[in-house]
Order: sequence, then C-alpha cells, then structure tokens
Amino acid sequence: MLRFENVHKTYKTGTDALRGVTFVIEDGEFVFIIGKSGSGKSTLMKCITREERPTEGMVLIDRFNISKMSRALVPILRRQIGIIYQDFRLIETKTVAENIAFAGEIIGVPKKRLNQMVDIVLGSVGLRDKAQSMPLELSGGEQQRVAIARAMLNNPKMIVADEPTGNLDPETSESIMALLLEINRTGTTVIVCTHDSNMVDRMQKRVIEVEDGLIVRDERASGYTAVVEPEQPALPKSMEDEFDSENSEEKESDKPLPEFPPNRGEDGK
Amino acid sequence: MSLRAFWNSVKEGFQGIIRHPLVTVASITTILLMLLLMSVFFIFSANARYIMRKVGQQPPIEVYMKLGCTQEQMDMTVSYLQTNTDKIKSYYGMSPEENYKRFRKELGDSSTILDDFDYNSYLPYTVTVQLTDPQYADEVVMNLQAIPGIDKVMQESNVMTFLTRATKTVNIATGIAFIVLFLISLFIISNMVRISVFSRSTEIAIMKFVGATNAYIRLPYIVEGAIVGLISALCAWGLSYLAYSELFKRAMTNVESGSLYALLPMSSLSVYVLFLCLASGIIIGSIGSGIAVRKYVKV
Repeated sequence: MLRFENVHKTYKTGTDALRGVTFVIEDGEFVFIIGKSGSGKSTLMKCITREERPTEGMVLIDRFNISKMSRALVPILRRQIGIIYQDFRLIETKTVAENIAFAGEIIGVPKKRLNQMVDIVLGSVGLRDKAQSMPLELSGGEQQRVAIARAMLNNPKMIVADEPTGNLDPETSESIMALLLEINRTGTTVIVCTHDSNMVDRMQKRVIEVEDGLIVRDERASGYTAVVEPEQPALPKSMEDEFDSENSEEKESDKPLPEFPPNRGEDGK
Repeated sequence: MSLRAFWNSVKEGFQGIIRHPLVTVASITTILLMLLLMSVFFIFSANARYIMRKVGQQPPIEVYMKLGCTQEQMDMTVSYLQTNTDKIKSYYGMSPEENYKRFRKELGDSSTILDDFDYNSYLPYTVTVQLTDPQYADEVVMNLQAIPGIDKVMQESNVMTFLTRATKTVNIATGIAFIVLFLISLFIISNMVRISVFSRSTEIAIMKFVGATNAYIRLPYIVEGAIVGLISALCAWGLSYLAYSELFKRAMTNVESGSLYALLPMSSLSVYVLFLCLASGIIIGSIGSGIAVRKYVKV
C-alpha cells in the first residue's frame, strides 16, 4: 500500500510543487496520475521513488515512512519498485539481455539464475528473439518493452511509469498499456503518469489529477477529464409538476450506480 | 554489497579501461608525468641527504683530554663513545706521540723545530669523533664536556648548523613538493575522469534507479583509477630507473663510490622509488576517480 499524507514539497527555488497531497493506493491497483505540465505530478512520482524528499508530510509504502529513510536504504527501496521512463533509459553499449540482467547483477543474483530470469521476463514482453540485439536496433515500442522487462526482473511490488507512451505512436502505446495491464493483473501495483487522454479515457481506471500541487480529482473508473453533470434549464412551474408526476415512480438519481468491478489485486486474485 | 555484486563491479572497472581508450591514455600520461616528477624529487632529495650526511660526518668533533688525565678518565670517555652508537658513527683516539708525529708531518720541511719538543708534557690525548647525523652535534658536545678529564671539545659549529638546517630544508621542500604534486595530479585526474563519468552519466542514472548502492556505482571507477595509477606507476618507475642509471653511469665514471660526492646507486633507491610510485599512483588514480564520480552517485 502506498500512502501520501499531507505531502508538501517546496524546492530550494521557493517553488511549491506539492501543497498537501493525501491519497492511498492499495496493493494491486492501476492508477493514472494526470495533470498539466508543472502541476506537480513528476514531483509526486519522484517522492515515490525517493528522488525527492517531502519538505512536510509522509510517504508510506507498506507503513514504512520512506520520506524519513536513510540514504543507505534508498537503493533497497528502489529494488522493490520497477521504474519506467519515457526515454526508455537503456544502456546503448549493452545488449537487450545485458540491459535487463543489469538490474539483477547489482544485487548479486547468480549468473545462471539471472539468465533464467532474463529469459522469463523477455518472454513475457515478447522479445525473446531480440535478447542479443542492441537497443538502437530496436523500435521505440520494443525498447520500452525492454525497459518494462528490466523493471519486472526483480519482481517488484510496484511499477512506476513516467510517461511510458510519450515517445510512441498510438498503436504501440496501446500494446505497452496492455502489457502494463497484464502485469497489473498479476497483482503488481501500477502507477502511470501520463498525458495520453485517449488511453486514460479508454482504460477507465482510477485517475488522480494534480493541479498546482494539489489533488483536484481522485476518481475510480474515470477518464482524462472529469465528468460534469450538464446543468438543466429551469422548467416553467406547470411543466415541472408534469415532469415530476411522470417520473415519480423512478427518479434517475435514485438509481444505484453501476458497481466498479474490483481490481484483481483487491480481492487477492 | 554481496561478494558477487562486488566482483561484477570490479569486472566493470576493468572493462572501463578499454571502453574509453583515449581518456585512459590521457590519464596514464598525466599520472605518469606527475610520478616522474615525484621520483625526480625523491631521488634528488635522497642524494642531497646522503651527501649532507657524509659531509656532516666529515667535520669531526675534536676532544682534547687534560694534560695528565688518568686512565679512569680516558676509560669514561671511551665508554661514552662506545655506548652511544646511534649518534656516534666512529671515533679515533690519538696519543701525544701520534699527535706529535702528525704535527711534524703537517709542518713538512719546518718540522725540525720540533726535534727537541717534549710532547708528553705539552700535547694531550685527543679523540676525533664522527657523528651519524650532524643534528646530534650539540648533544654529544654537551655530554662530552661533562666528563671529567676532558679539557675542551671543539666542533665546526657553523658548518654543523648549516648542515642541520640544509637537511631540514631539503626534507621540508621534498614534503611540500610531494603534497603539491599529489594535489595537482589528484585535481587533474578527477577532472579527466569526470569526462569519462559524464559520458556514462546515463548509465549511472540507470544504475541508481534500478537500486544500485553508491559503493556499487563508485567501485568500477575506483578500480579503473587504481589500474590506471598502477600502470602509470610502473611506467614512471621504469623510466626513472633507466634515466637515473644512465645519469649515474655518466656522472660517476671518475668518482669513487666512497667519495664525498658519490651519488646513491639506483639499486639502493629503486625499491623506494617503486614503492613511492605504486602508492602514489594507486592512491591518486583511485581517489581522483572516486571524487569525479561523487557528484553523480548521490541517490
């Protein structure tokens, strides 16, 4: 579980990037973080990966306050989080397999086991045949798949993706999102920071919207823009009475809302 | 960091040397030049100290016993000279008769004036003392003067003072030169490695977000720096060995090895120069690289 409790972040320049952000993301959720450029969503993501430390408030992962953790523990935290960036961040001088294995080498996974793990994650992103290719030989979508495979290697509890489809065409973006959704179905929490309104609208997942360092919307099964109830023009008194009598049996507002299907992670499946 | 992760990191360090050959060559050349300068300073100061020590032993301390001093007093003097071997390199006693003969010899053709000289009545026993280091002169003179039976102790005080000061100056100058050269080379190396680190900053950023510790990120650069330092040290030692051996051969052709002006042979210096080069090279290389990468590794 990820919990932000009244998180404030003020940079040395005096910019208030976050001004009291509070929310909870349960294990296994798929969440979109949206907002305009400069709204504070990148700072929010950085607070999750401890690239930034809140000036006030707490960021808790599984009840552990990561905003107060010592620097020595930060690498251990990051091994629990798979991070995906817009620009893929692959090492150009290493092969696809080496790029993925890199995440295991730093924690000293034995070579034989590491090769097996790399093979499994490459298979899960559909790039087993590209293991020995160099990153620059791959398309953007394939490179992002490699980045996802690397993020998955250490079997993280949470994947944080910062604009993962920002550099990709709509079709490839779709396949990357499908892959993230697939990972989420295994119980991994996925947090995606994005500007891709079509994708957010289509996927109908939880949306947290950040504006001027504040959370202005936190809705489950939502789209990129908030659903605003259209204002009804005032009816003449006579028509109003007639309308009321016609609808007295069943008012629209009395109807139960369609229930949001539970996330896989929530019911533990 | 696990042992496997440690070896992965060391392996990366070795690969880093080949990955940026130009930076590696430039770093080796820089450290090599600095170490050569250090070696030259070391060899110069070692020779300067060696010659000064020899010179310091040359103006001896002359001890004049009282006329008619007793055997016991003579024994006390000799006992002091024999027990303080750390300060007294050698001593040489002369009887009145030996002193008389020496005077005659020094007078040459005029020695006949001493024909009827009663040396036993007018000439004392003397002892010539050579010190291990001129800095002990004052202490030894003071101790000798306290022994009964000794009339006076003569020393070339000005020469001794000069030599003591000169030795200290050479030692301080060498120390300062070492520190300055060390800092300069550390600065140059850290800036050169920074170029290599900068070109790999993306890689470092990736290492950080996949959970690499600071030590894991730094270690390859430190290993790389240490190897560069090691290669530079061996080259610097080899070059200084060849150059000094050649200089020694040419300069010492007509000089006896026991002479006051004889230089130290390279065989007696080479181990110290090698140790100096290796220690300085490895420290400069590894610390310089460690400093260069520090800015990029803060998680």
